[in-house]
Amino acid sequence: MGRILALGILGALASAQVALAQSGSITGTITTAVTGQAPVRVTIDQKVCGSELPDEAIVVDARGRLANAVVTVAGLKRAGGRESMVMNEKCRFAPRVQVARPNGSVRTSSKDPVLHTTQAQYEDGRTIFNVGLPVPGITITKAVGRAATVRLHCNTHPWMRGWLVVTDEAAAVSGADGRFTIDNVPPGTYQLRIWHEALKSASQTITVVAGQHTDVKFELR
Amino acid sequence: MALLLAVALGAQPQPTTIPEMWSAWCARCHAQDGSGKIAEPTVTVEPMDFTDCRLTSAEPDADWERAIAKGGPGVGLSPEMPAFEDSLTPEQISGFVRHMRGFCTDRGWPSGNTNFPRPILTEKAFPENEFLVLPAISHDRNDVEIKALYERRVGKRSMFEIGVPVANDGVDELEAAVKHALVSNDRSIVSLGFETVLSSSLAIFEPFASAGTMLRDWYVQGQIKVELPTDRARADRAFVYNAYLGRDTSAAPTTWTIGVEINGENGELAFTPQVRKGLTGTGALAASLGVTIPINKREQRGVRWVGYWLWEYLEPWRARK
Repeated sequence: MGRILALGILGALASAQVALAQSGSITGTITTAVTGQAPVRVTIDQKVCGSELPDEAIVVDARGRLANAVVTVAGLKRAGGRESMVMNEKCRFAPRVQVARPNGSVRTSSKDPVLHTTQAQYEDGRTIFNVGLPVPGITITKAVGRAATVRLHCNTHPWMRGWLVVTDEAAAVSGADGRFTIDNVPPGTYQLRIWHEALKSASQTITVVAGQHTDVKFELR
Repeated sequence: MALLLAVALGAQPQPTTIPEMWSAWCARCHAQDGSGKIAEPTVTVEPMDFTDCRLTSAEPDADWERAIAKGGPGVGLSPEMPAFEDSLTPEQISGFVRHMRGFCTDRGWPSGNTNFPRPILTEKAFPENEFLVLPAISHDRNDVEIKALYERRVGKRSMFEIGVPVANDGVDELEAAVKHALVSNDRSIVSLGFETVLSSSLAIFEPFASAGTMLRDWYVQGQIKVELPTDRARADRAFVYNAYLGRDTSAAPTTWTIGVEINGENGELAFTPQVRKGLTGTGALAASLGVTIPINKREQRGVRWVGYWLWEYLEPWRARK
């Protein structure tokens, strides 16, 4: 019995390895020449939020590498997906930008001892949900509907912004170093789409080869 | 212990009473005094003024509780009001409604808990600001009546109304009435009224009393009326009595309300099963449809389709000073 199980696991690992060998990955760096904005002056709940907060609409390092850009592989569907989590922490949404799956769910909570709300809206302004989080530690789960770019907003701290890019396509968010990685991409030619909350969207056609990394560079304006 | 821990950690102590919670949370948008007037508002829609007794008195607790639990969209209002059903207990939500009603310091307004859904034929006791169109169609007699009714609150407890026939086969009647909520508490209300029906050849004076109460989740409403014509050769005196029993099928302003009336005039009895539906998110538009079926003296009276279309034109939710 144990031997059969071990053989089964080995078989599964082998087929996964073959699948990986037959696919490639996309990596890349996103940069911009646009510099970040001045910090936001805080006039509400300073004991919790501080007297000023960085404006995170454009998070860019000294070398121009841009965080929080979303890279999507057009047409490459990805099933299921994890539940997203939006934390209200130190009067900002964390993470600020993330990918969510259509018809999935998002959890939201707070670590701050002040009233926050998590209001999710489509880009046309229609509200998907708006929940009050008056005390830390409460976690509320809400449904995420169709594929869309969803804006998060706090009604009591108007500078707070967050984004859920709801898509059933393969997607990744660039890190603080501007880098992103999308694995398990079957060989082929794809269009990469780049979205950023404050900069102009861009796209690029790339070719993925089996067993290889395809590295791309984007500069957003 | 939690307070000590919070202090030890340098955190802000959390509010524990409803007034403290109001100050810490709700006052952010609704202001400490409930007026909704904030020096630096963080929302784009100005919250309603809870110190205006017309607002805080006219709707039932359940509507306010729903606004807190489901957020603004739960009662057809702004989505900037968040939902708290996952973060507050039902007791806390009820506590906030009691606190909010306390911003109206002027006593004497009848409780919105007695603002029951309007039956089709039974005069409701609660004074309203409404415009209605009331059709009545008798199929077997090919008879169509449509009446328009304008109601307006006066002061804290009174109301007047004017009714005119829109289509009534040449009948030139004008109705005018006043109504005053005589006695009311948190669940029950009794009103007295006086209606006059004027035509070119006759006046009919109609003193009436209306009452309503809640029995568990059921609305119970009743009305008695005496019709006193000035010329008894043209019209008979009549004793009219109506009773209504009904309930909502949900807590939303768009709920279906099902009910039945017993309608009597002297010895003639009928019953009127009916449904009512809120047509808009706030319930300011509503319609009702029923059918009056004679119980006795059927050979003299036919079946009548009755109903109304209602517009609460000075809806308290939307009213401004």
